[in-house]
Amino acid sequence: MKLDSVHDLQTVYRKLVDSTSRPGFISDLVPEADKLDDTVDFSESILLLALTLLDPEVSFKVYSKESHMVSEKISTLTYAKKKDADEADYIFVLKDAEEGSLVEAIQQGKPGTLKDPHVSATIITEVDRLSDDGELLLTGPGIQKSNTVAVGESDSWVEARQFKNTEYPMGIDLLFVDKQHQLLALPRTTRIIKNRVMN
Amino acid sequence: MNIAYNFAFFDEGSKREIRRKTLKAIAIPGYQVPFASREMPIGRGWGTGGLQLTLSLIGREDVLKVIDQGSDESVNAVNIKKLVCDTTGVEITDHTSNATIIQSRHRIPEVPLRNNQILVLQVPIPEPLRFYEPSEYETKKLHGEKEYSGAWLMLFEQIMKYGSMTTGADHPVMVHDRYVMAPSPIPRFDNPKMNESEALILLGAGREKKVYAVPPYTKVVSLDFDDYPFQRETFAGKCCRLCGASDVFLDELIDEESKETVYQCNDTSYCLEKLNEDAALEVRV
Repeated sequence: MKLDSVHDLQTVYRKLVDSTSRPGFISDLVPEADKLDDTVDFSESILLLALTLLDPEVSFKVYSKESHMVSEKISTLTYAKKKDADEADYIFVLKDAEEGSLVEAIQQGKPGTLKDPHVSATIITEVDRLSDDGELLLTGPGIQKSNTVAVGESDSWVEARQFKNTEYPMGIDLLFVDKQHQLLALPRTTRIIKNRVMN
Repeated sequence: MNIAYNFAFFDEGSKREIRRKTLKAIAIPGYQVPFASREMPIGRGWGTGGLQLTLSLIGREDVLKVIDQGSDESVNAVNIKKLVCDTTGVEITDHTSNATIIQSRHRIPEVPLRNNQILVLQVPIPEPLRFYEPSEYETKKLHGEKEYSGAWLMLFEQIMKYGSMTTGADHPVMVHDRYVMAPSPIPRFDNPKMNESEALILLGAGREKKVYAVPPYTKVVSLDFDDYPFQRETFAGKCCRLCGASDVFLDELIDEESKETVYQCNDTSYCLEKLNEDAALEVRV
């Protein structure tokens, strides 16, 4: 692994800060992901985020066909604890996970409490292709007027997320990465409107 | 650069903890996220909250500016800069517009911040309800229930006693219509700069072990009453004795010899930049 665990993870973190504070702003993780070449057999950007955020103090859950292998790899590299979806701090939903896994992760993920809304799950999802030109219209803190994105995933998660985040400040935060190592964040404050032209 | 320490002083585990909490803070604007607040080589209460945020953010490409009450050269600012510089080797600047990370105590710079900058504020008392309710257990409950009568009551009592709201600094604000937040002891003059800010604002309280955030383009409203609206400090008819600026936060000074009251820019780098601009113009003419 050519990845520098100090400097490269710092730049990944700053991109996380940029994307989280400006929902809809898509960050590019290619420079860091390239340094992970041929050391992993799942998404490099998922591993980058795991290395940036996970350590023995937190727990995680993986949705994937290869969830055992991926979980082992993540816990070997970070020493984070494996837990069930309703207790995990970070939930990874990989592209090869069963249909409906993202919705399940959103429904299961812990939303925190009114007193401690920060004790909530962050869900990290791998999708085919993210784009800043799409049918999802975003508004909320961090967005000047509105932003549009497309995440190339069936939309049922939008309703599940909206339902989960009804009792703001409780809720879950979403991160998306795609195969080209682009990063999008949708914190709980972002409102999503499906911006479709009616036929 | 001192190689006896890890880059940016902290071990990676400490940085990761602060980073995780900072991301949650950005996701819940105005909510105070508890964090571990590691031991630092400067005393708690001397800017360790801001410093920990800065150290968790900073990378080799960053340009850092640190100010203390508007000054780049006060003891606190200089020592924080030295610590960060010794353990990272990053470039230090006085020019607000050149900085990527600006750590500040008690002021938001006069030069408008941009979207590629992060403002880090040092906070002594992050809890806006603390004077009203001493128990942390209770204030957490009040925030959870959005029960902010106490915050308005404090302002109401000031009006009853003194005829106006007397918060010299740290005038409480409502963030994203949900959390009442202490903006750190910035003068009321700076409160409106937080509203719909271009730059991300992070606030860190080292002694009280809290981090919180105001993302860009977020609604930040200073608390007030219909009949007693929020007002910034006014410096009507006054200007800086050095650079002549009039739409900035001014320090009131007494001239030792003449005993006259004089005014001067509080933001020293802004004042200096303006003086240099004027001097350059004169040379050209």
